[in-house]
Amino acid sequence: MSYVKKDEDADQTMIKLDRTSVFQDARLFNSSPISPRTCRTLLTKIAVLLFTGEQFPTNEATTLFFGISKLFQNKDPSLRQMVYLILKELANTAEDVIMSTSIIMKDTAVGSDVLYRANAIRALCRIIDATTVQGIERLIKTAIVDKTPSVSSAALVSSYHLLPIARDVVRRWQSETQEAASGGKQSTGFLGFGGSSQSHAISQSNFMTQYHAIGLLYQMRSHDRMALVKMVQQYGAAGVVKSPAALVLLVRLAAKLAGEDPGLRKPMMQMLDGWLRHKHEMVNFEAAKAICDMRDVSDAEASQAVHVLQLFLSSPRAITKFAAIRILHNFASFKPHVVNVCNPDIESLISNSNRSIATFAITTLLKTGNEASVDRLMKQISGFMADITDEFKITIVEAIRTLCLKFPSKQAGMLAFLSGILRDEGGYEFKRSVVESMFDLIKFVPESKEDALAHLCEFIEDCEFTKLSVRILHLLGVEGPKTSHPTKYIRYIYNRVVLENAIVRAAAVTALAKFGVGQKDPEVKSSVSVLLTRCLDDVDDEVRDRAALNLRLMSEEDEKASQFISNESMYSLSTFEHQLVMYVTSNDKQTFAAAFDVSTIPIVTQEQALAEERTKKLTSATPTLKAPTTGPPKSKANGVAEAATVAVTQKYAEQLMQIPELKEYGTLLKSSAPVELTESETEYVVTAVKHVFKEHIVLQYDIKNTLPDTVLEDVTVVTVPEEEDILEEEFIVPAPKLATNEPGIVYVTFKKLAGEHSVPVTSFTNTLKFTSKEIDPTTGEAEESGYEDEYQVEDLDLTGSDYIIPTFAGSFDHVWEQTGANGEEVSETLQLSNMKGIADATEQLISTLSLQPLEGTDVALSNSTHTLKLFGKTVTGGRVAALIKMAFSSKTGVTTKITVRAEEEGVAPAVIASVA
Amino acid sequence: MAGIFRTIYDWLLRMFWATEMDVTMIGLQNAGKSSLLRVLAGGEFTVDSIPTIGFNTKRVQKGHVTLKCWDLGGQPRFRPMWERYCRGVNAIVYIVDAADRAALPVATEELHDLMKKSTLDGIPLLVLGNKSDLPNKLSVDDLIEAMDLKSITHREVSCYGISAKEETNLDAVLHWLIARASR
Repeated sequence: MSYVKKDEDADQTMIKLDRTSVFQDARLFNSSPISPRTCRTLLTKIAVLLFTGEQFPTNEATTLFFGISKLFQNKDPSLRQMVYLILKELANTAEDVIMSTSIIMKDTAVGSDVLYRANAIRALCRIIDATTVQGIERLIKTAIVDKTPSVSSAALVSSYHLLPIARDVVRRWQSETQEAASGGKQSTGFLGFGGSSQSHAISQSNFMTQYHAIGLLYQMRSHDRMALVKMVQQYGAAGVVKSPAALVLLVRLAAKLAGEDPGLRKPMMQMLDGWLRHKHEMVNFEAAKAICDMRDVSDAEASQAVHVLQLFLSSPRAITKFAAIRILHNFASFKPHVVNVCNPDIESLISNSNRSIATFAITTLLKTGNEASVDRLMKQISGFMADITDEFKITIVEAIRTLCLKFPSKQAGMLAFLSGILRDEGGYEFKRSVVESMFDLIKFVPESKEDALAHLCEFIEDCEFTKLSVRILHLLGVEGPKTSHPTKYIRYIYNRVVLENAIVRAAAVTALAKFGVGQKDPEVKSSVSVLLTRCLDDVDDEVRDRAALNLRLMSEEDEKASQFISNESMYSLSTFEHQLVMYVTSNDKQTFAAAFDVSTIPIVTQEQALAEERTKKLTSATPTLKAPTTGPPKSKANGVAEAATVAVTQKYAEQLMQIPELKEYGTLLKSSAPVELTESETEYVVTAVKHVFKEHIVLQYDIKNTLPDTVLEDVTVVTVPEEEDILEEEFIVPAPKLATNEPGIVYVTFKKLAGEHSVPVTSFTNTLKFTSKEIDPTTGEAEESGYEDEYQVEDLDLTGSDYIIPTFAGSFDHVWEQTGANGEEVSETLQLSNMKGIADATEQLISTLSLQPLEGTDVALSNSTHTLKLFGKTVTGGRVAALIKMAFSSKTGVTTKITVRAEEEGVAPAVIASVA
Repeated sequence: MAGIFRTIYDWLLRMFWATEMDVTMIGLQNAGKSSLLRVLAGGEFTVDSIPTIGFNTKRVQKGHVTLKCWDLGGQPRFRPMWERYCRGVNAIVYIVDAADRAALPVATEELHDLMKKSTLDGIPLLVLGNKSDLPNKLSVDDLIEAMDLKSITHREVSCYGISAKEETNLDAVLHWLIARASR
């Protein structure tokens, strides 16, 4: 009791609660007669434990569950409510929870106390299992249409949770759910006459029932698009649904439908436009967000939404402003010119006392502004930077960093700003984010390299953070020697040797050495060696050791030294980590007999690692361009980056090495993404993967037999290439037996007749051949005799892109000129009428060509024209660059002019052919 | 007149000497546990009822004694849980369908398994041969023989033949139970 009364310092008391002592007290439940008050206190204690994250182990939970079920003999309504709350929570961990079904069902029936009927329904759905759902069907049906809102809501929500367990049963409750969804009006009208605050409260929660009903209806119909469309139109009409939350659901659904089916786009857009003028802000926001997130939304379509949001920007309520600016902020990432009109309103928000709003305002302005206004903004921010905390400074720096990567042309202003704030006061995290932004500039925007390095040099002159100094010195060592005037960096670095602590000195020595080793200019070389010699007298032994080692390396005039110092390749770290973890966590003692073999780790070049990092940064730092509902499947197209390719190839390489015949083909050079050769609902589901080896092509067919009660034996694939003189079939590895729904693999191998550098391009017709046997239902064994059968699947194309691995390069113009100089060029103009827009075409082209987009061209900024710059290497190492110019018009679709340059003969036409 | 005095007497007893007792009712599915309980609590006999999933409780008033009856489901998956609900009760009522000879071996086995549990030592057991109205039923003596009730020791064991439908012998059951209340 005392516990309940001391609510003010509840925290104090709660900490004292101990699971074991509460569990001991739970014996109270078994006493007779039951005291409702003390039991409720005890239940509350259990609730506190459960909700603060304490977990009861299964045996304790079961004992508690059993003990609590004894409380059902007492009729005290508040005790009963509490009992239900706890049962619901314990149901997940305790065993035998099904025991309470009958007793709870008694409470859910019409006529039992309304106070706990809703609780009983909610608890019931937690403890029930799939086989008994049928038993409560009638009960839930009556509850759904019950006139008490809490009961109806509870039944709807419970059905929602039961849906995954017992789909068929729950789907039979559609008509009741529909009644609940539209029924809100009737009973509100009835209660509305009262006008008192209480009836208002009831009608409010009544609307909530609509929300739950709409949610459940959507889940029930989620596989039937026409039903969903009907639902949006029926309930979306003005006045049918009163709950704003339910309308928000409908808005999302409408947006999803519009995104999935272009035919529905127009009617759904009209509905969304109507919702923009709804009287609830919640609905307005959702509709505006849906329109802004729509794929390829046109300027005209978006302008109304932006206008509505603009009005909200001047709302007196902070939360409204925040919601509006947040949507605008996301939208500005890919349609800055539409958000432009709001700029005056957004600018007034920069000085808003709410920092989240202010930060969003600034980052939005950074995106919407043109070249001139970005500079002006930078100035404004500089004044403002002093007033905000590090945390917000970091947000702004991140925004600027992303901008630099996306719009390399604006780097000069950004760099000036970054170096400006670098000189400001600030903590380590803030400085680190600024320095990392500059690192990224150096890595990905080559034009900015010299200036950025100069700024960093200045920064380390007066840097209080050892970690940052070390990182900058390392970067100077790597990048410095490649610049036009390496000597000016040497001075900065040597200053560190004189002035800093031992750790920085050691880093500086290593950096210095990179200027010396492999240096062609004898003057520079001798001065570096003089400086290093001086370091031999350092007080710290690490510094002395490094100096001595590097001096020795400098005197070695061979390749080895320069390779050691400026190592261009590294282990693929993700694979390395994975392999190490596998090795360490292995259960098999045999594994530890041999030492870990580092040579199995693939080595990637610095360039590849950079490309991987850049993709990661761009995807994590930029807000997702599309709504989450439509986003994920599309955004994967970006993953064509070679990191993914390498990982996929490795996975297959391991599989293929299991097959002795394939071992002698050498290492696997490239594996394509799986291609579906059948619809996913057919009797036999076939996907194919193309593996490219040095002199061979291996086709891997993954076959799944979906027919129940049949077994396929001796499954082979008859594969006939269209052109016979370029590939010769070598052998087939058949799948001996395919049981129902167990995937099997068939390999078909071909030899390239024209030698290892040739790029055979053809298409294969594929026919499955197998012996089909039925399974005797009584014995479960396959019958003795079967019949031979064939099954034709779709053709498989082997295209030029199957020989290409996406590769990163710092500057596209550079590689474009180089491949043009010593290779062939092919160009072609194509009409891609099936593409929905520029963004769509960009994604598809990147994935079909299997090339790496460079210079941020994978993000299309305009809806009418776009230039895509792509680069990659063939499996044999020849470079391939592609320049794609696209124009979009609604009549003809996307028109593209593709120009491909390749170093190796025959590659360029093959690549182009893979698009056509 | 006598009825009024009787009521007042009962009321006084309840006021000052009220006793509660726990009774667990178990047995195979379709033996008639829920139906018997409904009739004992003063309800109507119904021919078709839904199987009990888990357990159910009912209070039965008889004189100054309140019987808290725990009616447990008889399907195989609930049988392991019987023991837990039998712990510490005043009496266990085991109901058998006396007309279903095929199920008798299983019923016997389940009963003897339960009686071996040390947690239930000393708790009185009442075995009821239900559905005595059916033509094909076993007599009480046959039932005792068939279920080998004599081998159950360390507790009071009684066996009655009853019919929940015809309400035969139900008073005897209640009296037997109430006699165990004082313990």
